[in-house]
Amino acid sequence: MNAIEISNLKRQFKTTIGVIKRQTKEVVAVDGISFDIHAGELFGLLGPNGAGKTTTIKMLTTLLIPSSGTATIMGLDVVKDAEKIRPRIGFIFGGERGLYWRLSGLDNLRYFATLYYVDANVAKKKIPELIELVGLKGREKEKVEGYSRGMRQRLHIARALLHDPEVLFLDEPTMGLDPVGAREMRMTIRDLQSAKKTILLTTHYMFEADALCERIAVINKGKIIALNTPEKLKHTVQDLSVVEIEIFGIPPGFLEKVRKLEFVDSVVVETHNQRQILLVHTPKGSSAISDIVEALNGLRLGKIVTREPTLEDAYVHLVGGQL
Amino acid sequence: MVKKIKGILRVIRMSFEIELRQNLTDGFVLFGIVIQPLIVAFTALWMLKDKGPDYAIFIVVGSAMTGLWTALLFNSGNSIIGERWAGTLETLVGTPSSLRVIVFGKVLANITQSLLSMIGCYTLISLVMGYPLTLSRPIFFLISILLTVFAFVGFGVIIASLFILIPDFQRLQNTLEFPVYILCGFLFPIALLPGWTTPISYILSPYWAARALHGSALGALEINQIYISWVMLIFFSAVYIIGSSALYRLVLKRARVDATLNTTG
Repeated sequence: MNAIEISNLKRQFKTTIGVIKRQTKEVVAVDGISFDIHAGELFGLLGPNGAGKTTTIKMLTTLLIPSSGTATIMGLDVVKDAEKIRPRIGFIFGGERGLYWRLSGLDNLRYFATLYYVDANVAKKKIPELIELVGLKGREKEKVEGYSRGMRQRLHIARALLHDPEVLFLDEPTMGLDPVGAREMRMTIRDLQSAKKTILLTTHYMFEADALCERIAVINKGKIIALNTPEKLKHTVQDLSVVEIEIFGIPPGFLEKVRKLEFVDSVVVETHNQRQILLVHTPKGSSAISDIVEALNGLRLGKIVTREPTLEDAYVHLVGGQL
Repeated sequence: MVKKIKGILRVIRMSFEIELRQNLTDGFVLFGIVIQPLIVAFTALWMLKDKGPDYAIFIVVGSAMTGLWTALLFNSGNSIIGERWAGTLETLVGTPSSLRVIVFGKVLANITQSLLSMIGCYTLISLVMGYPLTLSRPIFFLISILLTVFAFVGFGVIIASLFILIPDFQRLQNTLEFPVYILCGFLFPIALLPGWTTPISYILSPYWAARALHGSALGALEINQIYISWVMLIFFSAVYIIGSSALYRLVLKRARVDATLNTTG
């Protein structure tokens, strides 16, 4: 049985340009996407910034009305049945917003328990349990403004679980967390998966999607460009190798020279302080190194390594190296 | 049905409590509740110290009502704006509770705290200055005060919907302040205004609240006229609250189409 069914879902936004001669421009954030999520599945939605992930989640959580297409949650339409859907879903959006900072964590949970019509006696038991689950025990009476980013994220999780929803939407739940906080959050998500919740998770972190999700949809420029299990997505790049080149400063034009090499599939630059790592995806493997080095002639190069592709490389390959 | 009503009352009570708790930690709001009414009360009574007590009570009631309207417009309006900026407006809309009921609780909190602070301030200053404020019909005045809360809450729920619908509505906040003072006859009778404005005054519930309060404080209205004011006040406030159901459905649909529930779209 499918918990979520999406068919040709589209969402446009209007923006205005200019002051005197105002022009209205339409931006397509989500462009006719379709996919289903089975009940109890942990499904990942991956994509670069502005790909349409948050817009998709906002339509599914009834906070935005689609421009066209349909989406159902547990068989209920997100537009017509919004009021019936809300008690059955929980959502968290990445970041620290969406909480009352001048109130304590406990007061935030008490308020939202009331708004979700959680019975007062049930809430009395449930709130301390959730505070313990998300590791805020002992800090719950402090104001949220004094919490760390990780604590706020965890409070969001507790808020989303107050009414024991069947379906959870987690939009970049580990965004901005330190490694320990992110790992704890992933463990919490795993526990929710064990509790048979249907979860739609968006993330930028490939290893996170790889470790958690049963299936992943890759979204770019509003369109689903791949949908499969993490293993099968990795197979899309099994014929490619990744050449990693350490460089100390890349002037304009050099990147284009590498991209234009006929055996290069895609190129990504990762910046680490003073140095950059150039990731070149190519079917030629280590035999491509000499041509790439020649294209970078004149630059100061460091370590050069050839390795097997990961899920992240599959993702880069799919979105065309536009990270 | 009983369970549903209980649930709604819990949401109102909790929204009321949360709004009060937030206000008590906001220096700007605290200034508006405690210090500003003291300054206004002191100034008003100082200016009137040589006039008769009848005139004084008119001004005191009138200026307290202007204070209530300002509190409603700014505290309740800014509260919605604050929710949008904090990202909580979206979180509230995503809950099964009606946003209209949540706003009702918030507006009720803002009106109650402003009313209590103004009654306290005027009483304190008049005692300090040795200037007794005499009420012609105290029981009628008390009932009128309770109904005034109802009138302002009904009006506030409608006004708050505009802040939900239009993210830039704050720009119009100041321009809305004085027309309502004038049209509702807070500080001078609406008979001084052009005749075409009278129907507008009549459909504003705070006008009937001002009429009942002024009438019962000064004794200038017959008892049956006070009753009429109460009936009209209850009628229009009920119309606002019932009508706001359809209004909020439209406003929320529009906000979900235009993506205005959050500052980030």
